Amino acid sequence: MFGEEELVKIHKERATLLSYIITAAFGLVLARLWYLQVYKGETLHNYSIQNRLRKEVVWAPRGLIYSRDDQLLVDNVPRFDAILTPQFLMDNDVTLAKLAKIMNVDILAIRAILKKNSNQAKYRPIIVKKNISFEELAQIESQNADLPGISVDTFISREYRDKEIGAHLLGYISEISQIQLPKLRERDRLDYRLGDFIGQFGIEEQLDKYLRGENGHEFVEVDARGRRKRYINTDNLFKGIEDEKPISGMNVKLTIDRDMQIAAYNALEGKVGGIIAIDIESGQVLTMVSRPSFDPSQFSRGLTPEYWRTLVNNKEHPLRDRNIQEHFSPGSTFKALTGIAAFEEGEIDENTEVNCGGSFRLGRKVYHCWKKEGHGPTTLVKAIRESCNVYFQRAANRMDIDDIAKYAKAFGMGGRTGISLPREVAGLIPTKEWKKKRYGQEWQAGETLSCAIGQSYVLSSTIQMATVYAAIANGGKIYRPYVVKDIYDTEGELVKTFTPELLSKINMKNEKTLKFVREGLYQVVNNPKGTAFYRRGQGIQMAGKTGTSQVKGASADKVYQKCENMDYESRHHGLFVGFAPYDHPKIAAAAIVEHGCHGSSAATPVVEAVITQYMKKYQPEMYLENLEKDKSVRENWVKSLKPAPVDHADE
Amino acid sequence: MNQTLLQFLKRYDFSFLGSMAAIFLVGVLNLYSATHSQQHEGLDSLYKSQVLWFFISTCVAIGISFINPKTIERVSYIGYIVTLFLVFLVLLMGKVGMGAQRWLVIGPIRMQPSEFMKMGLVLALARFFTKVNPERQLGFKELIIPGIITLIPAVMVIVQPDLGTGMLLLFIFAMMIFYKRLRWKTIATLGIISLVSGVLMYNFGLKEYQRKRIHTFIDPYEDAKGSGYNAIQSEIAIGSGRLFGKGFKNSSQASLNYLPENHTDFVFAIFNEEHGFFGSVFLIILYLVFFMRLIWLATSVQRFFDSVLIIGIMSIFFWHTFINMAMVSGLLPIVGIPLPLMSYGGSSMLTFGVGAGLATSISNSRNFFN
Repeated sequence: MFGEEELVKIHKERATLLSYIITAAFGLVLARLWYLQVYKGETLHNYSIQNRLRKEVVWAPRGLIYSRDDQLLVDNVPRFDAILTPQFLMDNDVTLAKLAKIMNVDILAIRAILKKNSNQAKYRPIIVKKNISFEELAQIESQNADLPGISVDTFISREYRDKEIGAHLLGYISEISQIQLPKLRERDRLDYRLGDFIGQFGIEEQLDKYLRGENGHEFVEVDARGRRKRYINTDNLFKGIEDEKPISGMNVKLTIDRDMQIAAYNALEGKVGGIIAIDIESGQVLTMVSRPSFDPSQFSRGLTPEYWRTLVNNKEHPLRDRNIQEHFSPGSTFKALTGIAAFEEGEIDENTEVNCGGSFRLGRKVYHCWKKEGHGPTTLVKAIRESCNVYFQRAANRMDIDDIAKYAKAFGMGGRTGISLPREVAGLIPTKEWKKKRYGQEWQAGETLSCAIGQSYVLSSTIQMATVYAAIANGGKIYRPYVVKDIYDTEGELVKTFTPELLSKINMKNEKTLKFVREGLYQVVNNPKGTAFYRRGQGIQMAGKTGTSQVKGASADKVYQKCENMDYESRHHGLFVGFAPYDHPKIAAAAIVEHGCHGSSAATPVVEAVITQYMKKYQPEMYLENLEKDKSVRENWVKSLKPAPVDHADE
Repeated sequence: MNQTLLQFLKRYDFSFLGSMAAIFLVGVLNLYSATHSQQHEGLDSLYKSQVLWFFISTCVAIGISFINPKTIERVSYIGYIVTLFLVFLVLLMGKVGMGAQRWLVIGPIRMQPSEFMKMGLVLALARFFTKVNPERQLGFKELIIPGIITLIPAVMVIVQPDLGTGMLLLFIFAMMIFYKRLRWKTIATLGIISLVSGVLMYNFGLKEYQRKRIHTFIDPYEDAKGSGYNAIQSEIAIGSGRLFGKGFKNSSQASLNYLPENHTDFVFAIFNEEHGFFGSVFLIILYLVFFMRLIWLATSVQRFFDSVLIIGIMSIFFWHTFINMAMVSGLLPIVGIPLPLMSYGGSSMLTFGVGAGLATSISNSRNFFN
């Protein structure tokens, strides 16, 4: 055995060798540096001051977005900017005067722009005017020699064909901000640069990795006087450098129908709200519109301060999406679920009669029905039709909040639908356990009564309500709503296709449950006593439920105050959720009109307009058939009734 | 009391901490110069956090210098296993996050475990070589176990994917077995085998697109064509410095942002542009002094473990320094290897601190513990 010190000693030879190796390695580095800095130093020094090879990004054309019927929704359009590079500007007055004349602007305006940008580096170009016309473009290009420092920059602008229509769904692209840069680099493992455009909202954000393509680059040599030229490979210095062509982004086909979008947008004219419509047998979203809206094209050019101000100063928040990013009390539209719960639990059947005297007393508290004089003897169908609070409160009183929650959750409420769009808000269905956790308090029986009619803690969004009513219409199938149908590459080859995703199928214990709930929903729209009869439309055989979502809790003396007499901020939101056609359901839709007071007058026409457009386009035969059926409905009504006042019937 | 403190300070070996401080000083000035004009990218204040990292690393180094090397020997396998586990954790999380992952994020702390893996590997190898037939020369048979100890982390790092660091682990291993008296015959055989198989693989075993993929695999953040551009800009930067350089804060390549990553992997190019050939000679001498001092220490300790450990630590820093300088000056292809104490980065600085601390502890022990 060796001692420790001898061990070190026998390795000394190798240590010495290592020190030689290391010295030699650095000798090699120094030799290389000598070669570069002394032997080729002069040449390379000249390069660094005279010739600058610049790597310029060639933007990849972003993928296009089409509607389900192949209509173009989002396009790329070349736009031209007049730019000025201060470094190369000569004869200031003459040049600027010429430029001002071409663009028909005041020379002082150009000077103001220059002054505003005077603190940045001189080699950075300044945009003098965006979106110049072809005529201006031609003049600048032809007078190139007389306009030192002035040039034209081409910019591919992202343009949204229908501007404000469906802007929240399509989203927008804009430059990566400094704050986003490190986060996005981390998230996508891509070397983003400042100035890169990226989808920031809606489809543009969700499908960014498909739409964006891959930027290419080209190498441009800039000489000492700043003139750009393509490099000429003279002395092998630039050997191994090649341009790289950009790869276009993929094209996307949505499940959205453009004509329905337009119909929805027009129906929301003058209103604040949103509508969403889905295909009940697949979950495909056909329409998704929110108003007020914004023009996404503006974002891809960098927002002008004026436009930004109009967006942020608008009290109605045009950037906010009303369909998936906002929730509210579903109001009476929730009653269908309370009915289902009570029916399934065996607490009621189709013949159960409740006498509505206009109010319901529990302990010391009185719960009012919207109809002061009461509905009289009421069955389930009548209760849904006329939206009787007392009926559902009595039914709920026999159950537990957890029973109602069980059904509401089974139908997809109380969470997110999982639509493939960013920032969906979750709904809320309270349970005893939830309240205990959230507030540390026991559940009150009275709260069940409020929840039974969709007030109090219950929260939902239009997309969730549309999913619930689609399930009522299709017999309990919950589909995940989706908006993207197919993704194609630039050659038109299918890259990815999205198929319906059945999340769950509810097994109804009682086969009559849905039948009678649907019957009630049908009568809401098609029975003269129904709350939405006067907004039933033609040829669509709609079934649905109106609702109001209270913005502020009404005190007892204000319960019967006319909504229109309240100040705007306190008015109720109007809701309507429905499906159509009743005999062969195809489409479900939910609409909210903020501060619209009534579901029937504010929200129902919006749903009706969208469904009508759907029926005409996709079910023309059924549409004609239904027109015939509607005639008989109308005749019966005219025969049997004295004319009733319009706009009064409500929940 | 004062007497003992004075004696203690007299015996304390300041050479490693001193070297570290000297190179750092050059590095942080260079970093400031390279980034001062890059306000718009938010890089102009990087040097401040670099100073903070240096402070932390120095504290770590001083702390470690008070640990008895015998204790370090006892926990060396544990160190290896812990760092290996961290690398494994990154791999696991990378799978979940889909895509390359080098960072481990714990609350506000982001660390790069592959950086610490180097130290873990060196510890384990030093321990193994000390325990198992320390006096024997190494042949193929004796290489099996240390080979496995090295390959496990190397493969895990390579599939991250971080081929650069993976290769570095293999190079460190190579230098350590060379010191542990690998037979000349084995060296020659290994050299020939790897040369022949490498050439064959590259030319016949791979298709064109696979070869391309290897290029991008080396550094997925860099596209293959773009890296040619980096190399040329880097050469222009170095060459334009000529003998005396353009002077502090006068790098045109950096300030015009032609040179990418000029605060991490390409700091050496900026340094050359501003300080020229003589500046580089000075910097390389600083590094050489540090390495030679380590080798001298390895031959003058009483315990074999300490000796192997010191050689391991020296290999870590040598390979970083050499590969980075060679790649920036165009001798080697571009891989993402930072220059110790010059490039921006906390994990790499911390590794340096640990290394300097261990060296100091071993140097001091010659006086204190025997």
